[in-house]
Amino acid sequence: MTGDGAILSVRGLSKRFGGLQAVDRVSFDLMRGEILGLLGPNGAGKTTCFNMISGVHRPTEGTIHFDGRRTDGLEPHRMAELGVGRTFQIVRPFASMTVAENVMTALGRSNYRGIHPLFRRWDTKPCRDGAMELLERVGLTSYAARNAGQLPLGDHRRLEIARALALAPKLLLLDESFSGLRHEEVARMEGLIRSLSDSGISILLIEHNMKVAMSLSQRVVVLDHGRKLAEGSPEAVAADPEVIEAYLGKGGIVDAAGGV
Amino acid sequence: MDLFLEQLFNGLAIGAIYALITLGLALIYGIFGVLHVAHAGVYTIGAYIGYGVYAATGNLALAFAVSALLCALTGVAIERFIYVPLMKYPPYVPLISSIALFMATEEFCRLVAGPYVLSFSTNLPFPAFSFSGIRFSSNLTGVYVIAGAIFFFLWILTTKTETGLALRATSMDAPIASSLGINGALAVDTAFALGSAIAAVAGILVGIYYNEVHPDMGAMPAYKSLALIVVGGLGSVEGAVAASLLLGVAETLLIGFAAIPLPRDALAFIAMIFVLMWRPTGLFGARS
Amino acid sequence: MSTYVITVATFIAIQAIVAYGLNIIVGYAGQISLGHAAFFGIGAYSAAVLSTKAGLSFWSALPLVLLICGIFGALLGLPSLRVREDFLAITTIGINFIVEAVFLYVPFFGGAMGLGGIPKVVFFGMRLKGGGLLALCLVCLALVILLCRWFTKSWAGLACRAVAADESAASSSGISPVRFKLLAFVLGTVIAGLGGSLYAHRMGFITPADFAFPVSTMILSIIVLGGMGTLWGPLLGAVILGALPEIFRPIADYRMLLYGALLLLMVRFQPGGLLGDASVLRSILARMKGGGGRDR
Repeated sequence: MTGDGAILSVRGLSKRFGGLQAVDRVSFDLMRGEILGLLGPNGAGKTTCFNMISGVHRPTEGTIHFDGRRTDGLEPHRMAELGVGRTFQIVRPFASMTVAENVMTALGRSNYRGIHPLFRRWDTKPCRDGAMELLERVGLTSYAARNAGQLPLGDHRRLEIARALALAPKLLLLDESFSGLRHEEVARMEGLIRSLSDSGISILLIEHNMKVAMSLSQRVVVLDHGRKLAEGSPEAVAADPEVIEAYLGKGGIVDAAGGV
Repeated sequence: MDLFLEQLFNGLAIGAIYALITLGLALIYGIFGVLHVAHAGVYTIGAYIGYGVYAATGNLALAFAVSALLCALTGVAIERFIYVPLMKYPPYVPLISSIALFMATEEFCRLVAGPYVLSFSTNLPFPAFSFSGIRFSSNLTGVYVIAGAIFFFLWILTTKTETGLALRATSMDAPIASSLGINGALAVDTAFALGSAIAAVAGILVGIYYNEVHPDMGAMPAYKSLALIVVGGLGSVEGAVAASLLLGVAETLLIGFAAIPLPRDALAFIAMIFVLMWRPTGLFGARS
Repeated sequence: MSTYVITVATFIAIQAIVAYGLNIIVGYAGQISLGHAAFFGIGAYSAAVLSTKAGLSFWSALPLVLLICGIFGALLGLPSLRVREDFLAITTIGINFIVEAVFLYVPFFGGAMGLGGIPKVVFFGMRLKGGGLLALCLVCLALVILLCRWFTKSWAGLACRAVAADESAASSSGISPVRFKLLAFVLGTVIAGLGGSLYAHRMGFITPADFAFPVSTMILSIIVLGGMGTLWGPLLGAVILGALPEIFRPIADYRMLLYGALLLLMVRFQPGGLLGDASVLRSILARMKGGGGRDR
């Protein structure tokens, strides 16, 4: 951990959809350079938390501070400009573009304000080189000219990470980056996330797969029914009887503590 | 006062006819997700078939039955041969094909029956009467009785029968409905058949009520009913019916009675834009 | 060239200009609009009012016409673009009917009889008729095509493509969807205004029916036929749809039926348009060039 203080502080975060309390007064901190796992059974409110941090939803109550400024209620594109990159649980590539164009789109983040965007060309050598560099980082260079819609799922997940990296993010939000991956892809993804963390990016990951989440995260926060159930080191949380009950009680993942 | 009430009842009848056209559109949109502009083409064909059968046989009941049956088949054919193969494309593709089909239908009617206005002069077999000074012509009574019977039939069908359950389940969530053993394709066929048959009835009623059948008669309903399903909440049949009745009354009272110099046919769209700004899911809630 | 050919070519050029405007909205930014004729009409009526009532020339009125169209594009676009797909389609149809109704019912605009007496374009003391006006229209068309090419190469064009492909992913990549949808909408309506101004000065008189909903359908058909989001699709579509009725003149009664049937067959079997990805024509062209030819 390289940290000095929190890059992300969430305090009393709540979200109601109609009568449903999706997230209920959740608080946690993410330290600089840390990998924090956000765990919990289906419907625990993980993705809703993510959507509030990345600006998709405005919190009903509570505050979010990112990198020293209050950010709750800012729109997603503002969060992207501030340095929050994210991926999606159900992948969302720009299917009609090539893989390289997908990354170049996000590389242009500084061009989308003011009247510049109309007057500057996007297809330039520095931009192409920048995209190739990022594709190399995630191992997709050979697909650069391929239509993004035609990639297999595992490559989509890595493309989304490359696109998020193009924002030069300080914080990366990874939404179930392991789901649907084959065994060898899981190991590869794990290596990629570790290398991103080593390069100084703080990472918040939502994970269903307890095993990888526990081995990657330095700390974890467990949500259940929208509330924070536990927080701490993976070992401590995995031994927490309430956590085990939340998972087992749902008939969920039996080997909750298996990875530790 | 009497004039006001008379206008009110006229407006309600016009609203009821709008509702007969619009509810098919709402039913189809709710279950299938296509804006079926060509529905108004089916309505026009329905009016022509009804006119033709009546002119040949003089039997009004037969005209209604033959027209409803043939239009139900037409509706299902449009669904099967035009929309189903296009469902894999973005929604504007089926929408454009629907507009093209509607234009082609109008032209087809013009070529077959000629470009002139045919007069459908007959009376619906219902009694005319006066009630505390307000006159109900036999046609007005007929529109009320037939529309009322159709609404009642649909209400029974959708709330009390297995078919209705299948329709509602498919419109809420097609994959889940089909995993529960509901035949989604059959439900869609049913929606098209039912909606088209009712549109045919509406076509004949309009033909008789205004005493005219012409190739362009679908032009206004085609787009006005789109505005109505937005006001009613896309896909909500009850909402569509309520919005249609309100529009019929509002058009008649505001423009006919209060003589506000507003374009009658733009009223639906003005209402729609206000509703969209104030409550984007429509007056009667809807799908998110 | 005969007067007849010049007349047909002029209308094709004007329709192509208007279609290029719609192509920016629908093809590039992915926002369906079925009310484009409304903005074509706003352009034509502004040009007519400014030249007949304010006495401005085509040239001095043109910047004002484009500004008016841009303002209406922004005003009507902003609430419409909040809703998506089906709602947007219906809302834009509504805009078309309302704008037509305003032309029809506000006496200032001359009612059903429309506005007449719109002067010809004067270019260095020369009144442009026939061939001269065609040349002007072709120059405008060329400029519009260059503008579209420039747009696709700018960051704004890329942002619009991203919004069209996936709004959520675009916004999490730092793109404000509202901003770029609105930009595309305003640009498209301004181009429609240019077409409207040319149309008004070509015709000399205009009526509300010239800008009714079927005209919007026809403009949309042009880009659907030619290939949505392609650079040459709108031109190809305008040429085909403009020339077909003339070719079919001997069987004029069946014209609209054939037109509807053609459009129906086109979307049914080639929804990407003649020049769209995976179209028959494009693959033939590619084979002739001996390689992949994508001119985005």
